[in-house]
Amino acid sequence: MLKKIAIDQFSELVKALLEQGLLYAPVKGTDGVNFRAIQNPADVTLDYYNTVLSPKAVFFPQSEDLIRYRIKKDTPEAQPVPLENRPAVILGVRPCDVRSFEIMDRHFLGAGVIDPYWKSKRDSTTVIGFAFDVNAAADPADFYNTFGYGAADPEGSDVFMIRADGNLLLRGMTDRGEKLLASLGCLQAGDARDEKAFDETVKKGKAVRTRSAEINDKEIAKKLVDIFDNGEFWQKVTMACIACGACTFVCPTCYCFDISDETLFKEGARKRFWDACTFTDFTLEASGHNPRPRIFQRYRQKVCHKYSYHVDKYGCISCVGCGRCIRSCPVNIDIFGIVVEAGKL
Amino acid sequence: MTAFKKIEDNLRKEAKSLLESGKVTLVLAYAGGFDEKHPVPYVAKAAADADRLVFNEYCTHNMARYLTRYPKGTRIAVAVKGADSRAVVQLIQEGKVRRDDLVILGIPAAGMKNQKTGEIIDTRTTGSAINPVIHDILLGDEIHGVKAGSPYDVLAELEGMDKDARWAFWKKEFEKCIRCYACRKACPMCYCDPCFMDASRPRWADKSPTGDGTLMYHLTRFYHLAGRCIDCGECSRACPVDIPLYLFHKEVAKECEVMFGQAAGMNIEDKPAMANYKGEDSDQMLGS
Repeated sequence: MLKKIAIDQFSELVKALLEQGLLYAPVKGTDGVNFRAIQNPADVTLDYYNTVLSPKAVFFPQSEDLIRYRIKKDTPEAQPVPLENRPAVILGVRPCDVRSFEIMDRHFLGAGVIDPYWKSKRDSTTVIGFAFDVNAAADPADFYNTFGYGAADPEGSDVFMIRADGNLLLRGMTDRGEKLLASLGCLQAGDARDEKAFDETVKKGKAVRTRSAEINDKEIAKKLVDIFDNGEFWQKVTMACIACGACTFVCPTCYCFDISDETLFKEGARKRFWDACTFTDFTLEASGHNPRPRIFQRYRQKVCHKYSYHVDKYGCISCVGCGRCIRSCPVNIDIFGIVVEAGKL
Repeated sequence: MTAFKKIEDNLRKEAKSLLESGKVTLVLAYAGGFDEKHPVPYVAKAAADADRLVFNEYCTHNMARYLTRYPKGTRIAVAVKGADSRAVVQLIQEGKVRRDDLVILGIPAAGMKNQKTGEIIDTRTTGSAINPVIHDILLGDEIHGVKAGSPYDVLAELEGMDKDARWAFWKKEFEKCIRCYACRKACPMCYCDPCFMDASRPRWADKSPTGDGTLMYHLTRFYHLAGRCIDCGECSRACPVDIPLYLFHKEVAKECEVMFGQAAGMNIEDKPAMANYKGEDSDQMLGS
C-alpha cells in the first residue's frame, strides 16, 4: 500500500511512531546528523545527506552490558541483562545502509550461532528506508553503485519513504511494513499519481551516479589472497594510515567487538563494545606477541576481511559503498581506490 | 594570498633534487587523493615519486606526525606549514627527532581550508603561525601583513562560563566521543608507545566508551600535552564527531605560556616547559 503525508505535517508522523514504541531517527547535533532515540518529535530532521555514524548502533550499540555483577565476600552475584525486544522503528535509513543490515544478518544470524543481542533488536525493529535526493549529486566519496544499489532502491526496507512535491510518500515493502502503515492514522491513502511519482523516483534513483567499478565478489576475493604477500603494494596504499579506528566505527558493516569486565568498587558489568582491526592492540596476545604489529598489516586485514574473507564465509562483500569511512578518515584514505587498484594487479 | 601552485612546483622540484642527490631518503609531503579536496599524506621515496606531490589549501595534515615512525639517522625532508614547523621544533626539543637528520621544507600558508566544512582555518581552530618558525628551504614567499589574532581569543566564551557551565559543556562534548582515538593518532606529539589507554596491566581507564573512561582519556591527554601542544588543530579536524578539542589544548597552552613565558615549539634552544626548572617560574598553580 502507498500512503502519504505533507512534509509540513512530518512531526505528526513522528508523534504517531513514538506512540508505538522506541523511535530512532536522524537528529542534528554538534556531531553532525546521527540516529538517536527520539524523545521530542521536533528533534527529527530530514535535512541531511547521510548520517556521520551508521545506523548499526541501533542493533549493535557501541557498548552493551551482557552481565551485571556485584562482588560479594565469598561469591560474586551475577545476572544476565535481559534482551531488549521492545517494538522499535528506525526512520530515515538510506538505501545503501538498509543493505548493510542484510550483510550483518549473515554474520550475526547465519553463522551457525545466533547472536541473541543482535537478533532481539533486529526482530523487534521496523526499518523505514528513505531515498537520497534523486535530483542532487551523490557525495564524491560514495561508491554504492558498485554494488548495484540505486539512490532510491526500496528493497530491504519494511517501509520505504520518498519526498515528492511537498509530500512524503511511504510504501509498505513487507508485511511488517504494511502493518505499521495501516496503524498510522495520520497518513492519507496515496492515489495513482502518487504511485507514479514513487515509481519514477525509484527509477530516477538508478540514474544518480556514484563512483563505480566492476568488482566481482569471487574474483576480488581470490585476488586479495593472491596479493596478500605483496608488501610493497600494501605499504604503498596504507602509508598515510595513522591506525585510528574512525573508519571501522563509522562503518555500517564492521562488526568486530571486544568483551571486558569493567568494575567500579564492588559492582560492574561484562560489556561488549566495538573494536577496530586498525588498533595496535587488536591482535595483541597475552604473551606479548602481536601477529599484526604493523599498520599495513592491520589495514590489509580490514580490506581482506571485507572483500575476501567475507565473500568466502558469507557469500558477499561486506561493504555497501556508503562512503563513511572515506569521509571520516583523518588522512583521506580511499578504500574504493585501494580495492580497484588491487583488482588490477 | 598563498601561491599554492608555486609552492607545489617548488615542492616537486626540491623533493626531486633532494632524492636524486641522496641528501634524503624520504620526503614527507602530500599526494593527490580521490579528488582535489582530499589530498593524502605521502612519503616520496624516489625521484620519480616527486611528480605525485601536490600542495593546495586542503593539505591541512601535520606531516611532523609521521617523523617519529622512522629510526634516528634516517635522512628525511619534511614539508611543514607554520604550526607543523612548531611540531618539528618541539620533537627536536624532546629528543625524538634529530635536527641533523632533517631537511625542513617550509611552507608559508594562509587560507588553508577545513575539507569537511570548507571554512578557512584561522586562529580559531589552530595557532597563529602562518610562516614556519624553522626551515632549510622555503617553498613560497613569507606572508606578511595578514592580520592574525591571538590564538587564545577564541577562549573568551569558555573562560566567561562559571565552573559548572564549563563542566556541563565538556561533559556534553565528551558524550559524543566514540573512542576511535583519531585525535591522539593525528597528533604529532602523541608518540607514546604504548599509549596509557592501550595498557592492560594496570588498566588506567575503561576500554568501553563509558563517561568515566572517556573523561580519563581526554583529560590525561590534555594534560600530557601541556606545554607541548603546538596548536595545529589536527586533533579536532580528525575527530569524526567534531569535538572541539582545540579549545582545551589552547586553554592549557595559554596557562603554560603565562606561567612559564614560552609557547611550545617556537625556539629550538628552549627546553620543554614541563621538563625545565627556572628560579623565576610561576608558583601560581600552588596558590588559590
